[in-house]
Amino acid sequence: MSTPAVTLFLALLTVGAQLAVAVAVVLALTGRRWPAAARLRHGLAGVVAPQALQLAFLVALVATLGSLYLSEVAHFTPCVLCWYQRAAMYPLAVVLGLAAWRRDLAVRPYGLALAAVGLPISVYHYLLERFPALEAGTCDPDNPCTLLWVWRFHYISIPLMAASAFALVAVLLLVASAAGPAAGPQGGRDPAALAGAERT
Amino acid sequence: MRKQPTTRRQGAGPGPAPGRTPAAPGRAPVVAIAFVVILLLGVVAVVLTRDGGSAGGATSGTAAPGAEETRPVEVSGSALPPFDDSASSDPAVGTTAPELRGKSFDGRPVAIANGGTPKAILFVTHWCPHCRREVPVVKQWLDSGGLPSGVGLVTVSTSVSPDRPNYPPSAWLAKAGWAPPVLADDAGSSAARAFGLTAFPYFVLVDGGGKVVARSSGELGPAALTALVAKLKP
Repeated sequence: MSTPAVTLFLALLTVGAQLAVAVAVVLALTGRRWPAAARLRHGLAGVVAPQALQLAFLVALVATLGSLYLSEVAHFTPCVLCWYQRAAMYPLAVVLGLAAWRRDLAVRPYGLALAAVGLPISVYHYLLERFPALEAGTCDPDNPCTLLWVWRFHYISIPLMAASAFALVAVLLLVASAAGPAAGPQGGRDPAALAGAERT
Repeated sequence: MRKQPTTRRQGAGPGPAPGRTPAAPGRAPVVAIAFVVILLLGVVAVVLTRDGGSAGGATSGTAAPGAEETRPVEVSGSALPPFDDSASSDPAVGTTAPELRGKSFDGRPVAIANGGTPKAILFVTHWCPHCRREVPVVKQWLDSGGLPSGVGLVTVSTSVSPDRPNYPPSAWLAKAGWAPPVLADDAGSSAARAFGLTAFPYFVLVDGGGKVVARSSGELGPAALTALVAKLKP
């Protein structure tokens, strides 16, 4: 795949991740008020939750491989903020991969913590790209964080790709948390109990 | 906190550890569907970019025929110390500025020599968003007569990188309607290094005797531009 193809591919995946996160957020909010939304939420959670860990690993893996492609093949030099995001995303791929293999839901707080660190950095980086004056009025001649390597669909840049991946990983881990049938003694709630709680 | 048991079933492969989620029988193949969707999106991306296209970073258009984005630059004189915006005083002020002889994008000779009229030298690079914001501001300031008579303004396009956004700089500046003369720096950014550039955009003011009057980096609005060039006394 050429670099334009890869950046378009990653941008398309980003749109998909954003749609998934948006659906999850909307259902989480509306499910409290409308029974139909609650039923839809439980239906989707029932389908996704058993494999949410594997899906979260897949998201982190694709994000990691995409990041490595952009720096090592396309030669888009990572800036400081890129490295901070990498420091959160790369361990996610490893930890979630191991947890998915072992079906170990105990990984949720660790995965959520890494996503919670990476997401705000990505959002800040994206804002910096859109509004460079947030940081300073100058560009570092070597490798400024304001450098816009990729710009797809008039709004998607590399930090937004990362932010979307972090958000989707967090949603998937939360879904696994909410609907995992046997999350172990330290976590997880029974979906039937959850459904009952929603009805009350 | 209660310690979790750590024993595993013999020959159970990578099955769930104690206290872990067991595999759900008959579950929907969500992961397989995700794989298929990813593959399909990959195919879509390849098909849509078959005829080339950019990596998605904005380009500034196509350079004019014969234009070259970097040109050899001859530097004479001593290099200025690197500019430190946070320092209380600039050691370069009062020293003699180096002289530059090179060419514009289209090959016309451009010299930034000492003597003659005082001048403001603006160093920009195509990929810096601050430079991209500053160029229209300076253009508007020039168009409104902000530059005092007897003061010249010359631009140096430097730190050129075809891999970076908004390339090529010649097309960017042409598109911006940039009228002042532009010296195209060489691939090693010799002109920028000679003037001690440490950040973009970068201004150096040189008086009629070739002495450095002031240096500044970062975006400047019209009022700040007027205040800066007021330091030159033509």
